[in-house]
Amino acid sequence: MNMALSFEESNVVHALLTSEQRPIDEILAEFSSKLGRPRYFAVCNSLLLLLEDRRMLKATERLIAFAILHQAYSSLPNSVNPFISYIVNAACDDEAEKCERAFILQLLVSGGSNGGKEFLEQSAANYIKLFDSSAHAFPQCEQLQQQYCDEVHSEPYNCFFKNAAVKNVVPDPDVPQSCDANSQEFDLQPGAKPKIGSGDRDETLTELLAHLSLEGLGPQWIRPRPPMLPIQDGELVWINPDNNHELMWDHGMCADTSRGAAVRDLITKALKGPLAPAQQEQVLVELANDPKLVYHCGLTPRKLPELVENNPLIAVDVLTKLINSPEIADYFTVLVNMDMSLHSMEVVNRLTTAVELPKEFVRMYITNCISSCENIKDKYMQNRLVRLVCVFLQSLIRNRIIDVKDLFIEVQAFCIEFSRIREAAGLFRLLKTLE
Amino acid sequence: MDSRDSSSSQSTPAANRETTASAAAASSSTAGEDDAVLSVTAALAKDAALHFQSRRFTECLAVLYQLKLKKEDNPKVLHNIAIAEYFRDGCSDPRKLLEVLNNVKEKSEQLAQASGEQVDAGSNTGNKVISGSKGSATTAHQFSATNGATLVYMDEFDPAVATLNIAIICFHLHEYTKALSVLEPLYHNIEPIDETTALHVCLLFLDVALACQDASKSAEVLIYLEKAFGVGCVSQGDNVSAAHQQPANLAAKSSSILSSSSALDASNSDLTPSGNALENSLSRTLSLSEESLEYETMFALDISGQNFTRPSGLPSSNDLSRIQLDRSMSTIDLKLKLQLYKVRFLLLTRNLKQAKREVKLAMNIARGRDSSTALLLKSQLEYARGNHRKAIKLLMASSNRTEMGISSMFNNLGCIYYRLHKYHTSSVLFSKALSSSSSLWKDKPLKLSTFLQDKSLLIMYNCGIQHLACGKPLLAARCFQKASLIFYNHPILWLRLAECCLMALDRGLIKSGRTSDKSEIIVHVIGKGKWRHLAIENGSSRNGYLDPVEREDLFLGSDGQPKLSVSLARQCLLNALHLLDCSDIKGLKSSLPSSISLEENESSEAGSLKNSNHKGLTGLDTKASTLSVGLGQLNANGDAKEQKGVTSQEIMQNSISYFEDICLRENQMIKQALLANLAYVELELENPEKALSTAKSLLELAECSRIYVFLGHVYAAEALCLLNKPKEAAEHLSIYLSGGSNVELPFSQEDCEQWQLEKTFDCEDSNGGSSAKISFPEESRGIVFHKPEEARGTLYANFATMYAAQGELERAHHFVTQALSIIPDSPEATLTAVYVDLMLGKSQAAISKLKQCSRVKFVPSHVQLNKS
Repeated sequence: MNMALSFEESNVVHALLTSEQRPIDEILAEFSSKLGRPRYFAVCNSLLLLLEDRRMLKATERLIAFAILHQAYSSLPNSVNPFISYIVNAACDDEAEKCERAFILQLLVSGGSNGGKEFLEQSAANYIKLFDSSAHAFPQCEQLQQQYCDEVHSEPYNCFFKNAAVKNVVPDPDVPQSCDANSQEFDLQPGAKPKIGSGDRDETLTELLAHLSLEGLGPQWIRPRPPMLPIQDGELVWINPDNNHELMWDHGMCADTSRGAAVRDLITKALKGPLAPAQQEQVLVELANDPKLVYHCGLTPRKLPELVENNPLIAVDVLTKLINSPEIADYFTVLVNMDMSLHSMEVVNRLTTAVELPKEFVRMYITNCISSCENIKDKYMQNRLVRLVCVFLQSLIRNRIIDVKDLFIEVQAFCIEFSRIREAAGLFRLLKTLE
Repeated sequence: MDSRDSSSSQSTPAANRETTASAAAASSSTAGEDDAVLSVTAALAKDAALHFQSRRFTECLAVLYQLKLKKEDNPKVLHNIAIAEYFRDGCSDPRKLLEVLNNVKEKSEQLAQASGEQVDAGSNTGNKVISGSKGSATTAHQFSATNGATLVYMDEFDPAVATLNIAIICFHLHEYTKALSVLEPLYHNIEPIDETTALHVCLLFLDVALACQDASKSAEVLIYLEKAFGVGCVSQGDNVSAAHQQPANLAAKSSSILSSSSALDASNSDLTPSGNALENSLSRTLSLSEESLEYETMFALDISGQNFTRPSGLPSSNDLSRIQLDRSMSTIDLKLKLQLYKVRFLLLTRNLKQAKREVKLAMNIARGRDSSTALLLKSQLEYARGNHRKAIKLLMASSNRTEMGISSMFNNLGCIYYRLHKYHTSSVLFSKALSSSSSLWKDKPLKLSTFLQDKSLLIMYNCGIQHLACGKPLLAARCFQKASLIFYNHPILWLRLAECCLMALDRGLIKSGRTSDKSEIIVHVIGKGKWRHLAIENGSSRNGYLDPVEREDLFLGSDGQPKLSVSLARQCLLNALHLLDCSDIKGLKSSLPSSISLEENESSEAGSLKNSNHKGLTGLDTKASTLSVGLGQLNANGDAKEQKGVTSQEIMQNSISYFEDICLRENQMIKQALLANLAYVELELENPEKALSTAKSLLELAECSRIYVFLGHVYAAEALCLLNKPKEAAEHLSIYLSGGSNVELPFSQEDCEQWQLEKTFDCEDSNGGSSAKISFPEESRGIVFHKPEEARGTLYANFATMYAAQGELERAHHFVTQALSIIPDSPEATLTAVYVDLMLGKSQAAISKLKQCSRVKFVPSHVQLNKS
């Protein structure tokens, strides 16, 4: 909301204020018709600031100003009028003219539904002329406040700084030094030649109306602007010519897919049963000749157990070659979870010596071995498996594939459980020597 | 062959019915006809490839269309057709090609998956079903039927090349993040990919990772490349003789790799020598029923037989080495290339010492070859070290005079001149770079590389910085907006854009609630003579807010240019904060920020230690390799290579962690700036709550420059005042209070210098402009910077304001008098002083203060009184 008055508005208000000979209710009617309701607050605010300066307005103008202040919100209860406390205070102001106070009291009374607006039918000049102070009683301030401001609204909230604001207009009389600025001699006399230091009150009044503002002048907070972040190292883009990357032709198009067909067939066979030594040799040689062939030989993690059981040597070779493949984890998972057997242990044992296996995998494998031994029902088969596991563990320990510390308790318990078996006792002794 | 015949003849009638006409024909045909079809298509494919290589695209396409008839919907055929058509059509529409390739890739993956599923399903249920699945597989692809239940799809539907090409196009279109996401899965599954393609994948990945400033990914690929392609591990001293020996050396090397890998294969798998032993043990195990078996001996046999020569370290590194097949580039070219990549990596991670060493090496390798790139990198190195004159010399010496070369040269010169604080010159250079970059497009026919070579968006960013520094926020914002196509995920871009908005606001270039420029006080002179009044322009509207209408405005004006506003600034700052938080999560490092400076020292020390370490090893290495060449000791060679690899890995690891620290600190700087700006913007937008919470999070940052601490306190205090909490506001300000009425300097001159990153560079050859602490004649007009003394004045003034608002006028008077003695021209301080005087009833003093202040503008009032 724009709080300042436009120049037209100030002209209108000025004209209203100076109509001392017109009946006041006429002036009020004109006020309502010429200024829209949304502007009331701004106008009243300017009037209030003018009223605060006793010098500025003549007595008649003050009456009209008070009438407008009151009239603007007369359709509402008195207590809702935002200027009510000022009006009430003015009514109790002992320094003010009796006439003005009486007028304000009448305004306040007329706010009710019981009429009493006759006094507004005369002009402001007439009101002052006919004023008889003896006809009026001046109640106490407290009483008036109780009567009219009982539901006083707290100051409309603006903010800390604005609440403290002071009027933003300062008189700065421009008169020759050592002259009294209040003297009548500097008022502009109609028809007379303006002398130094004289000024037109009416002109000033209009301009003041336009420049007074509700906010007034408050103390000013300095809000330092954040500085621009200095250019960071490497923020300016240095350009190096790029390397050339040409689009590639796919040479795999319709390529001879029989590559390694023999190996694929052999691997398929190897899943079903042991290969003959010559066949086995052929697979190993072909895999060695074409390092990529291992990815195309038809083996998948699911098929690994069959390969391990039937052709452990080939399984070792393939896994060794796949060690960098992203699928190797899947192969390891399958290997850990397949049934324990001599061949699977054989494969793991050989793998440990050929490549570096994930520690986690080796551990899980051993744990599985041990629990397989424990779970087996057939005594004969159990003995057999335990002996195998013991030999396998000894091999791992001797070759420093596993760190005994990691599995010490587990392995020790295993040895004790199967201490009746010679190999387990041997393993136990080995553990003791390492302790 | 046998199995193929049998499988095709075995295919069930049901399967046959399912097959398409052509497939049915193929599956019912004899093996001989199969071979014929195979050889015909293979021959056609060969023809097409030959045409393609000699760039006869029309002929190439003619052959390809023939192939397409024979092999409907074969993704590889479609892929090659798309590529050839693209070249035939003058490379005009890379986006369209991208679309086609994406389709091809999708199709390949679908087909591969389909056949893969069938194979897997088959393997579960035994032979019979396998043959059945073979039959149905023929619908997808006729050859899979003839080849049995194998993983033919790996070859046939392998989308590696298509994927690589997609990434190449993204790279050329500067869509680095996308390229990276396409390449990453390819790189992680690189083992099965053939050598030529794999090398391309690696090199492209490296380029993309460097463009994305992703240090750790770059290092990963670099290390892999050095291992896998057996280059970069040839040690070489700084002496010239080594450089001369090098080709022979290298040849020996590559052959040694070949033989060593095969030797290793043999020893690794351990099969040949111990095969019999195993056979034995196996057979013995099989006859386990005889209890006599000695398990001990069984395994003992193995153990003793193996000798345990397990390769130390990672055995896989040997397996990684790729045999260099028909490679398009010679070994030395590749070596130079990798060396240059290494330098770029080190420059990225700002490991300047190591970069200097490596660039020297690169210059040696490049001797007698095209050394322009090496020179350019050397120039960049000197630029980064602050040796600007030397950088200019090297830049001029790098003789790349193509359009592209000239454009980047202008740009790089612009960077250097900017650093020399010659803003005008750098501005001219940047615009020259832009114009020569745009003239690239005049060359017809277009090439894919034209897209890549157009660096105008990168240059745009530099222009933006330059304009911002020169105080032209509107031009700068336009540049940043264009650059955002590439830099949209860089927080700093959004910070800069917000800075443009704030600068425009400051200059009064954008509308805000303000009635006038903030730097002046407007006083209306009303009336004359006796009635003269002074109306001080409404103070509160100075702290202006935007009209509600303005607030809802879109950020873009009708001309599509960004419409700078305070709300746009807020949006930018929020973007940047979001990006920063994301990157924090990504690179989460729980190092304590307060100990960073310490850490840095340590790490740099450690780095130099490592470096010297490395030097020692290099010396050793040289000997080792010459020895090995002489004696052919493959193993020693391999070991030496191993060690070397580890060292270079260590260097890279150090560089990465050093770089991570740098990024961390840089992000912290940016975050401080972002929060300070955001708090300011929220105050401008009259959101004191948000301003307060933002200022608080600024103050909570662990490592915060004292400058920003000062700003944080001032913003928080203002927000609290606006929220009517003067007591809490006072707490924020009073930390700078000593003795009740004296304000300390909130930060020192050193804080400013540290913050401005003005540092002296350690220049070993200090003949260039050695230190940056020279005061430069051309002052930047963009950087509004608070001097410590000004900040102190601000604090005095704000203390005064706070006391005045609480009615403590005497204290307010004291503080505002102090403030005016430090910052006499501050409009705010003057107004506060005027206010205090007016409140104290000293209107004469107030008026004289107004008349003394140089920032006050008296304007006559112009109301026409209509006198009737």
